[in-house]
Amino acid sequence: MALNANIRYRQIVLLLAAGCVFLGPRLAHAADEEGKLDAVAHTADGVYLDFAPFGAVELPRIFLRSDPWGLDVFPSTRSALLSERYVMEHKEDGHAEILHGEALRDAIDHHEHLYAKPKPAQGTLVLDLSITRHLVFGVLAALIVVAIFLGLARRYRRPEDRVAAPRGIFQNMFEALVIFVRDEIAKPCVGPRYREFLPFLLTAFMFILCANLMGLAPYLGAATSNVAVTFTLAAFTFVAGQRKGTKAYWTHLFWPPGVPLPVKFILAPIELVSLIAKHFALALRLFANMMSGSLLILSLIGIIFTINVLFGSLAAALVAPVGVAFTLFITFIKIAVAFIHAFVFTLLSAIFFGMALEEDEHHEEETSAEEQPALAG
Amino acid sequence: MEPTALAFLAAGIGAGLVAIGAGIGIGNLAGPAMEASARQPEVAGHIRLTMIIAAALLEGVALFGMIICLLLTLKA
Repeated sequence: MALNANIRYRQIVLLLAAGCVFLGPRLAHAADEEGKLDAVAHTADGVYLDFAPFGAVELPRIFLRSDPWGLDVFPSTRSALLSERYVMEHKEDGHAEILHGEALRDAIDHHEHLYAKPKPAQGTLVLDLSITRHLVFGVLAALIVVAIFLGLARRYRRPEDRVAAPRGIFQNMFEALVIFVRDEIAKPCVGPRYREFLPFLLTAFMFILCANLMGLAPYLGAATSNVAVTFTLAAFTFVAGQRKGTKAYWTHLFWPPGVPLPVKFILAPIELVSLIAKHFALALRLFANMMSGSLLILSLIGIIFTINVLFGSLAAALVAPVGVAFTLFITFIKIAVAFIHAFVFTLLSAIFFGMALEEDEHHEEETSAEEQPALAG
Repeated sequence: MEPTALAFLAAGIGAGLVAIGAGIGIGNLAGPAMEASARQPEVAGHIRLTMIIAAALLEGVALFGMIICLLLTLKA
């Protein structure tokens, strides 16, 4: 037993050392190329898929322009720029110049075009509908969820299958998750009409979980670390909840009972703002948590290079194992965060649905005392 | 001091204050919750659920602050 523990300890140390070797040269390369490591740019959205050290794959660009109106589709940013119908600016010392010919080729060779904002040579850009990295990852997450659950749904087609015990690891795992969402989230928070919202809650939970976990895989990213994705999810929650809003709920919102008439006019806007702020916070919470995890990892790795510049390579070599160990720790935290925030988003959605479904005074008190957790804001 | 330097300073101080606030808040929440679930393990599940909701809401407020700090550093 003691020997076994010893071997495990040694394995962890070896793994950490291997991590140092693996992370070192690649990120040093990334830092060299641009002169500085921009943590925000690495976690932000982009128009290419990064497969360092094997290169990058550019994604299609779609632009909507006016004067004259038209929709331009290019297979990549490079081809958009080389066609000369779109131009990029090169900024130096606050002075911007449009690149042509040799200078353009040179900039593309230095991957400058991946960060540039192309402009049409004629007319003005109305909308940039380009396919971005986070869109690809989001669609991929959705496809994974659809593939898993269409396969699983086939196993529940016959009525006798629905009461039979699940077979195999796969079905056991996902049935446990589905039961968890139903019994721990939907039933206690939404109330007796939970079945109407169960499909939405399950879809949201599985999609967010899948997208979050994709953020931990190499070469992939979390679609939920994009503010547009989380706001869309929150908008779905908002619409799904308000659509089923009962009469009592709307009365509470716009004509709060039991208060004097002038107070009603003050309370209604406050209630409305708080309703919107709740969903706003729902989106922001998921976004900020997924974003901050990757930022933290990049910052922890980046500190090695900062110290390399400030105090020399010996200090950096000493700091590197600490930085990598912390990165490992944060990665484990991120696995937990991926699950917790899929859970929290679904839970809060369920609570908002429960609020929208409130019936009359008496019923509301009963459920809130027994089932609904206390909640403010 | 230059305005840019002030913005960076404000972002740093703000991030620290946000961390302190969130730490106090979640600490106040988690301690009694653990005490309560130790006293009455049969309602531990319910307490944990309520605790996570409150922690998530608390964290939401902290994250609003963090976003403002981030914007201060990025736009400065």
